[in-house]
Amino acid sequence: MKQLPVIIVLVPLLCAIIIPLLPKKNFILFGFVSIMFGIMLSLSIVSYIDVLNTGVFRYVFGNYQASIGIEFLIDPLIALLVMFVNGLALLIVVYSFSDIQHELKPHQYSSYYVLIMLLMFSMLGMLYTNDIFNTYVFMEILSIVSTAIISIKHKRANYLASFRYLMLSSIGSLTILMGLAFLYMVTGQLNMDSMSIVISNVWTLYPTNLVLAIGFILIGLAIKSAMFPLHIWLPDAHSSAPSPSSAFLSSIVVKIYIVVLIKIIYRVFGVEIIASLRIDDFILVMASLGMIFGSIFAIGQKDIKRLLAYSSVAQIGYIFLGIGLLTPIGLAAGIFHIFSHALMKSALFLSAGSIIYSTGKRKLVDLDGIGFKMPITLITFSIAALGMIGIPGISGFMSKIYLGLALISDQHPIFLSLILLSSFLNAIYYMPILISSFLKEDILVKNSLQKDPLPLTMIIPMIIITVSVLIIGLYPQLIMDVIELALPFYF
Amino acid sequence: MIETLLKHTNYLGAIALFIIGLYTVLTHNNVLKKVIGINIMETSVFLFFVSIGMVQFGRAPIIKIDQPDITYVNPLPSALILTGIVVAVSITAYSLSLIIQLYREYGTLDLDKMLETKEEQE
Repeated sequence: MKQLPVIIVLVPLLCAIIIPLLPKKNFILFGFVSIMFGIMLSLSIVSYIDVLNTGVFRYVFGNYQASIGIEFLIDPLIALLVMFVNGLALLIVVYSFSDIQHELKPHQYSSYYVLIMLLMFSMLGMLYTNDIFNTYVFMEILSIVSTAIISIKHKRANYLASFRYLMLSSIGSLTILMGLAFLYMVTGQLNMDSMSIVISNVWTLYPTNLVLAIGFILIGLAIKSAMFPLHIWLPDAHSSAPSPSSAFLSSIVVKIYIVVLIKIIYRVFGVEIIASLRIDDFILVMASLGMIFGSIFAIGQKDIKRLLAYSSVAQIGYIFLGIGLLTPIGLAAGIFHIFSHALMKSALFLSAGSIIYSTGKRKLVDLDGIGFKMPITLITFSIAALGMIGIPGISGFMSKIYLGLALISDQHPIFLSLILLSSFLNAIYYMPILISSFLKEDILVKNSLQKDPLPLTMIIPMIIITVSVLIIGLYPQLIMDVIELALPFYF
Repeated sequence: MIETLLKHTNYLGAIALFIIGLYTVLTHNNVLKKVIGINIMETSVFLFFVSIGMVQFGRAPIIKIDQPDITYVNPLPSALILTGIVVAVSITAYSLSLIIQLYREYGTLDLDKMLETKEEQE
């Protein structure tokens, strides 16, 4: 039990080494990858139950005490996130078995799964670690790997998108490292808990250093998690990648950076210091601009995956709005939206990927009457899209309710009206797709209800994700209880 | 003010290099120059990090038992920057390999021209 978090992190790393050595047969590769993801998921479930029973758990590497060595800290929220990431990744990976056969060449399959495994390794490491330089190292692995799963599709648009992503994301990581240097100057520690103790003692002596540190770190993480004016890499990168990669990048990878930002704001600096340095105003303004402009940019898009990518920019604005309030209820709302957006966006990207898989069409104008040809796919798409708009019964509605309550209790009614405006804009760009796919006739053939021309490995993950979107929409307490359990560790 | 700045010329140098690097990445259209800009930024961060650990008249941190009261330089930032250098090398290698592929596909190193060809395709 004690070693469980390390094993969960090391399994994907080990798999990344083993996969190239496997015989070049598809069923062996796919079987191995899905068994390994199953093992990771079950281990993370065990560790989650363990944390719920015994409380916060610290793992120290090699018995060096925390201020010298590297420490893993597992609180209920992190354990839940690890379980969630593993579960969602398992579904996306099962989906990818069929989808990559259309998007990649056969000799690339094994290298694709090596990259997916390294992606999992770095993300789980970033979630668990309590050491700030360790976070940086995992972050660099993540940024190289997430660029590589875009450029693996050998097309010129992919090379260009991943080059721009790589440049901006290296600027981001260097900015973060500079910020860490300023933090290290003040504290002389790398462990997050020791840092926060030192900072709370001396912060009045070094306000300039701390402002520079949080400024650099915030800008760096904002580039990586596509906060509004720094989102320019995201639409190209997320829309040109293979569909499973888009789902990974948009629903999981971006969220991991946000979790790191939550750790740094709430655990390293603490709410009072951030509030007195007036960082929260900056976050709130950028978040609300992102909410509005992400949606406005999405309205003009013609390509379905680009539309979804711009919609991510808007939704990330909601998450930052919750985080920037600096109240427990606001943080809870932001974290809840991390979960609900991850589920809805992966459902949207997977169903868009299925449309591209079976018809080859990416343009919105070509989608007339497609709801009759691919009913399950489009029902998935519609439920997730309605969730993004905020129809009751779907998880997106609950996150908007929580966010609205947090805004009202913190006396910010202007932002509430911005949320309503943004939901309205969401409706403007999602409703035409639903209308044209279910209510319009295709030019060539008459509408008649058919079965989806998709393999089962693509349909089942979509159905599971849709059902969980609905379950979380109807029973939000499933996630909210755990978040409330974890909140004391962040304040 | 000026005295403190003159005492910490390496901090000034690091910030100047950081800005030069950022300017190079953001304004140059040539993809190779962008990578060079990233490298300059990396160097600036490394310089800054290592100079944090500097102690005036400090020695290399090799502990001698017979001379216990010698001041040593803080070795931790240098150790961290070794990791940072490895990361920087891998990012440079990966972006150079991407540049080779970009040159094969587009026949140019100018990012604006690449974006134009992409738009023409659509």
